[in-house]
Amino acid sequence: MEVNANAFGRNARKALLDKALQVALGRTTERFLAHRDAAVAAFPEFEGTRERASRIKLDVLDHLDTYLLRFIEEAEKRGAIVHVARDAAQAREIATRIARDEGVTLAVKSKSMASEEISFNEALQGAGVTVVESDLGEFIIQLAGEAPSHIIAPAVHKSRQEISSLFERHLGGPRTDSIPELVGMARRHLRAKFLSAGMGVSGGNFLVADTGSVVLVTNEGNGRLGTVLPRTHLAVVGIEKVIPRMSDLPTFLRLLPRSATGQAISSYVSIVTGTRRAGDPEGPERMHILLLDCGRSAILEGKYREILKCVRCAACLNVCPVYQSVGGHAYGWVYSGPIGAVLTPLLVGLAEAVALPDASTLCGACADVCPVKIPLPDFLLELRSDIREQGLKTPGEIAAMKGYAGVMQRAGLLEAIERIAGVLGQFFTKGKGIGGLPYPFSGWTERRDFPAPAALPFRKQWKIRRGVTR
Amino acid sequence: MAPEGDRVALFAKTFTAADGILLRGPVESALSDLGEVLRAEGVTALFFPEDDATAREIAEALVPFGPFNLTTGAEIRGGSAAVTAGFRTAEAAIAETGTIVETSGSGKTLLPGLIADVHVSIVAAASVVARMEEALSAFTADSPRNISFLSGPSRTGDIEQTLTVGAHGPKKAIALLLD
Repeated sequence: MEVNANAFGRNARKALLDKALQVALGRTTERFLAHRDAAVAAFPEFEGTRERASRIKLDVLDHLDTYLLRFIEEAEKRGAIVHVARDAAQAREIATRIARDEGVTLAVKSKSMASEEISFNEALQGAGVTVVESDLGEFIIQLAGEAPSHIIAPAVHKSRQEISSLFERHLGGPRTDSIPELVGMARRHLRAKFLSAGMGVSGGNFLVADTGSVVLVTNEGNGRLGTVLPRTHLAVVGIEKVIPRMSDLPTFLRLLPRSATGQAISSYVSIVTGTRRAGDPEGPERMHILLLDCGRSAILEGKYREILKCVRCAACLNVCPVYQSVGGHAYGWVYSGPIGAVLTPLLVGLAEAVALPDASTLCGACADVCPVKIPLPDFLLELRSDIREQGLKTPGEIAAMKGYAGVMQRAGLLEAIERIAGVLGQFFTKGKGIGGLPYPFSGWTERRDFPAPAALPFRKQWKIRRGVTR
Repeated sequence: MAPEGDRVALFAKTFTAADGILLRGPVESALSDLGEVLRAEGVTALFFPEDDATAREIAEALVPFGPFNLTTGAEIRGGSAAVTAGFRTAEAAIAETGTIVETSGSGKTLLPGLIADVHVSIVAAASVVARMEEALSAFTADSPRNISFLSGPSRTGDIEQTLTVGAHGPKKAIALLLD
C-alpha cells in the first residue's frame, strides 16, 4: 500500500469535517470500548493473563530465530511449503509465483493486515488472478476501492445506504435498508466464490512453533471456509506472530477477543496444520506459508522491539482520542491509531511518516488497554526525539521549541512574559478568548478560541493561596 | 478438575451466552424441540457425515418432526437452494468459553458445521472439558489438518456495528447435549 502518512494533518482536517464519519467513529469506538471494558471486568484473571502473554512475547523476541526455524521445520514436516520474504517486492514476487504455479485464476481471501503491507491484491491482480475479499467489511471496501479504516472493523465509515448502492452496482442486488438482507446478499455472492476458488488466502493471528500450525480467529467463519474448501491454502503472516507452544495459545485466545470486540472468544478459531491428511474428505492439497520480514528484523534489533508483541486487537485505536476524532484513513497507511503511529514510521521509514508520532496526546490510555503491555506512549515520545535528532523537524518547529524551552528554564523571564501577556491579554481580549490568529497559529484558533492569558498568572495565584492557607 | 456436572452446567451457560441454543433432557423431548427450531428456520434438508452413526441416528429420528429430507454434504457443496441443517458429533466441548471442538482427525468431514445454514452439534456430557488447554492437549503429538473451535453462530458487525448472524457460516448453532 502506498504511504501517505505525512499528509496526516490535511487528512485529519478532512476527517473532522466529515459528519457521517464522525457519527460512525463515535458509535464504533464507544461500543467496542464498552464491550471490552465489560469483558475485562467479567474476567478477573485478565491482569495475570496479560502479564503471562507479555512474558511469552518477550521470550519470542529474544529467541525469534529459534522459534521461527522450529515453526518452519514442523510446518514442512506436515506438508506445508514455507517461504520467507525480505521485503514487499520479494513477497509480491513469491505470491504471484505461487498463484501461477498452482494454476489459480480466482483466490478468495480472508482478512490479513500483513497482506495490505505488501499490496497483495494488486500484485495478484496484475498477474491475472482475481482476488475477492471475503471478510464482509473488507469486501465492502474492496467494492468501493478503498483501504481499511480500522483493523477489525474495516468498513466502519460506510453507511448501510452506501453499502446498498455498492451491492446494487456490483452484485445486482435490489436496494434495501435492511442490514440482514445486505449480509445475506454478500453471503450468497461470496459462498459461490468459496466453492469455486482455486486458492484460499488467509492471514494468521498466531503461528505455533512446536506444531507448525497457523491459527485464524474470525467471527464470520470466512477464515474457516477459505482454509477448508479451496485446493490450495496460502497464509501470509508476519514473522513476529510466532508463539512457542500450542499450550501458549489459550493465553492469547483469552486476551485477543476480549480486547478486540469484548467477546470471551470469537465465533471461530481455526488451527490449521499442513495439508490434508490421507483419508481426509476435504481440505487443501497444497499449503503455502509466506512469512513476511518486511522491516521486522530491523525493528527487532532496536529500541522499539516490543512493538513486535502486538496481536492487532485494535483496543488502542478505540481508546485513543486522536483515532476517535480522525479515524483510520488519516494515518495514511495500513495501521492506524497508536499502534500505527509507532509501527508505520518503523516499517516504512521515519522520514515517510514524520507526522505520525505527533498524532497523540500522550494520554497513556493505549498503554492501559494493550493486552500485551506495549509501552506505546514511551515509544511515541522516543520517536519524536529520533525525528529531532535525524533533522526531520522543520527549522521553524525547532526554533519554536528552543524558544519555549529557553523560557521555561528561566523563572524570571517566564514571570515577566506572564505579566506582560496578562496585561495585554486583558486589554485586547477583554478577558475573552483569542481567535483568528494567522498561520501557523491558525491551527489552534481555526476551530476554537485560545484562552486569554489570566490577569493573575497561575504561579502567582499559587503563591498567594499557599500564603493564605499556611 | 471440576466434576462433570459443574463442567456441563458451565458449558450450558457459556454456550448460551455465545448465542448458541442448548437442548438437553430426554431424547424424545429434545428431538421435538429441535424439530421446532429447524422448522422455524425454514430448514428442509438435513445432512451428516457418512461415518457418524450418532448424527445419522438423530437426523433420521427427526424426519417425522417436519418436512425434512435427508441429503449429503457433497450434494450441498455442489450447490443446493434448500435451507440446510448439518449434524455432527463434536470431538469435545469447552466449558470456559462455550466452545464446540470439531477436527478433521481420522478423516471426519467438517462440512456440517461449515456450509450448513443451521449447525447441530451432538455433545456427549463426558466430552465437556473445563478449559481450552485440556481440549488442545489431546492434539499436541499429532495434530489433524484442522482443529476448529466453534462458539455460537457466524456473525458480523461490519455494517454499522450492527450484530448480524450468518455472515458466512451457520446462522444458528445448536448443541444437543446427551448424557
